[in-house]
Amino acid sequence: MIGTAYRVELSKVFSKWRTFIGFIALGVLIPVVVAAMGIEGGQYLGFATQALKQTFDFTGNLMNGYTVSYIIFGSLYVHVPFLVTLVAGEILAGEATAGTYRLLLTRPLSRATMVSAKFLATLTYTNLLVIFMALMSLGLGIALLGTGEVVVIRSQITIIAENDLWWRFVLAYGFAAMAMTTVASVAFLFSSLVENAIGPIMTTMAIIIVMTIISAIDIPIFDYLRPLFFTNHMNGWKFLFDDPVNWTKVSISAGVLLAHIAGCYTATQIIMRRKDILT
Amino acid sequence: MPIPLIEIHDLHKHYGHFHAVDGLDLHVSQGDVYGFLGPNGAGKSTTIRMMLSLVRPTSGTIKIFGLDLTSHRNDILRRIGAIVERPDFYNYLTARRNLELVGRLSGADVSTKSIDHVLGIVGLASRASSKVKTFSHGMKQRLGIAQALLHSPDLIVLDEPTTGLDPQGMVDIRDLILELAADHKKTVFLSSHILPEVELTATRMVIINRGKAVVEGAVQDLLNAGRLKVTIETSEVPRALELIRATPLASHIQSSTDGAIIMMMEREEIAGLVAHLADARIPLSAVSPVRSLEEYFISLTQDVS
Repeated sequence: MIGTAYRVELSKVFSKWRTFIGFIALGVLIPVVVAAMGIEGGQYLGFATQALKQTFDFTGNLMNGYTVSYIIFGSLYVHVPFLVTLVAGEILAGEATAGTYRLLLTRPLSRATMVSAKFLATLTYTNLLVIFMALMSLGLGIALLGTGEVVVIRSQITIIAENDLWWRFVLAYGFAAMAMTTVASVAFLFSSLVENAIGPIMTTMAIIIVMTIISAIDIPIFDYLRPLFFTNHMNGWKFLFDDPVNWTKVSISAGVLLAHIAGCYTATQIIMRRKDILT
Repeated sequence: MPIPLIEIHDLHKHYGHFHAVDGLDLHVSQGDVYGFLGPNGAGKSTTIRMMLSLVRPTSGTIKIFGLDLTSHRNDILRRIGAIVERPDFYNYLTARRNLELVGRLSGADVSTKSIDHVLGIVGLASRASSKVKTFSHGMKQRLGIAQALLHSPDLIVLDEPTTGLDPQGMVDIRDLILELAADHKKTVFLSSHILPEVELTATRMVIINRGKAVVEGAVQDLLNAGRLKVTIETSEVPRALELIRATPLASHIQSSTDGAIIMMMEREEIAGLVAHLADARIPLSAVSPVRSLEEYFISLTQDVS
């Protein structure tokens, strides 16, 4: 029965205009950024490596498809959560707003099945968005700017060879899918609590902003909280571009994100199980 | 011996200190068109929501088809078609697509033919490909009935099914209810505040008020019980009134017009009154006893209030 319910939910999700806002936004934004990087990316990279050029010589095609994809990945990471919440925040609350819980929950379908089907549909949308982002940025970047090494400038400078990049990108996008699923799970939880889709979207974004701000403030009392915030682990994909990869940090971040996903899903199940449908 | 289809025992639903349903008992038999009557806020919709497991009872038991709702929810819902209050749908989908999705979730083998069939029954065949957001309230109501019939349920629960329909639509739905019960042997649980609708379609009924059953029984028995509203038409109203006021029936006079006197009285008292007026040579053009469910409903709910 969950298969049927999942297909019904997917059909509903992809019949709504709002579902395509994220794809349209990324479909417009990524080509613009890739084109801009192709035209003026040299200046951008020159500015980023200005101090290093006094000590090192840089040769080869540094502004390539991989570098562009890496830059886009880092910058869009801030905005994609909003696109994810557009669907995740609406998937339960939208039924309450429209009054269609009555239509849905008077079927021979347990509430747990309905919640699971909706959760799976949310995950499908979220992961398709990340895959779309990956294909657009990598595909378009490589097609227009070719391939080459990526210079990663963090606490240390890492130059990653071309043949050592593919698996890192695959894992990084996998990690991104997990991070976005965490955001979707939080929005999904809030969606079960209210009867208006705007609430979960705003609340999830507010939580991300508040947690990010708290994480950025260097006060000792926050040191205990910071490791628990999912926002603090969403950029754990960056560790995959260290050489050697810090697998411990990657695993810890992945664990925290997975714990959030499981926690939000379980809480939503409990809430929906007890919920009286009065709309 | 009628086969019990819905058995509700000592059902309660409390929201804080407010008791929406307060110890309700109901028994609906197979083949009944069961009228579920009550004023606004009486607990009708809450009861229906509990029967469909949309709302969790505070206490009490609900058995449908002989199965406990708590432990056999899906088995029960598979055999029920329902409209609960407003008929809401996915407005961004067409009527047909809505029915396809609902049909798939109902666990029945719902074919295009069966969708066309139910859309035809409710008069929406020509609008099957229109998005529901273009539908009027009445059309949504018809679509609601279509989705309730789609998987050929044994029990049909209709909560205010004629709300928003034009007079012809109301007659159509009334006829459909009668046809479902008579020709298709369906049991219909009909909640309505439109009393003539229940009077014309239901075989049994319950009147509830403040979450409690006030009276339950066969509609005809309830109509025949208690006092009747009797209209006495005569060309000599003043003289007739004078005569009646001189009898013990004086207190039964409700009102009078130029051509008629209206009284509330027992059925057995009518013959005596007619004879008394005839003896006094009062010309009577008509004596019409009417037992209206509306009168009964108001008297019962007012008594309880």
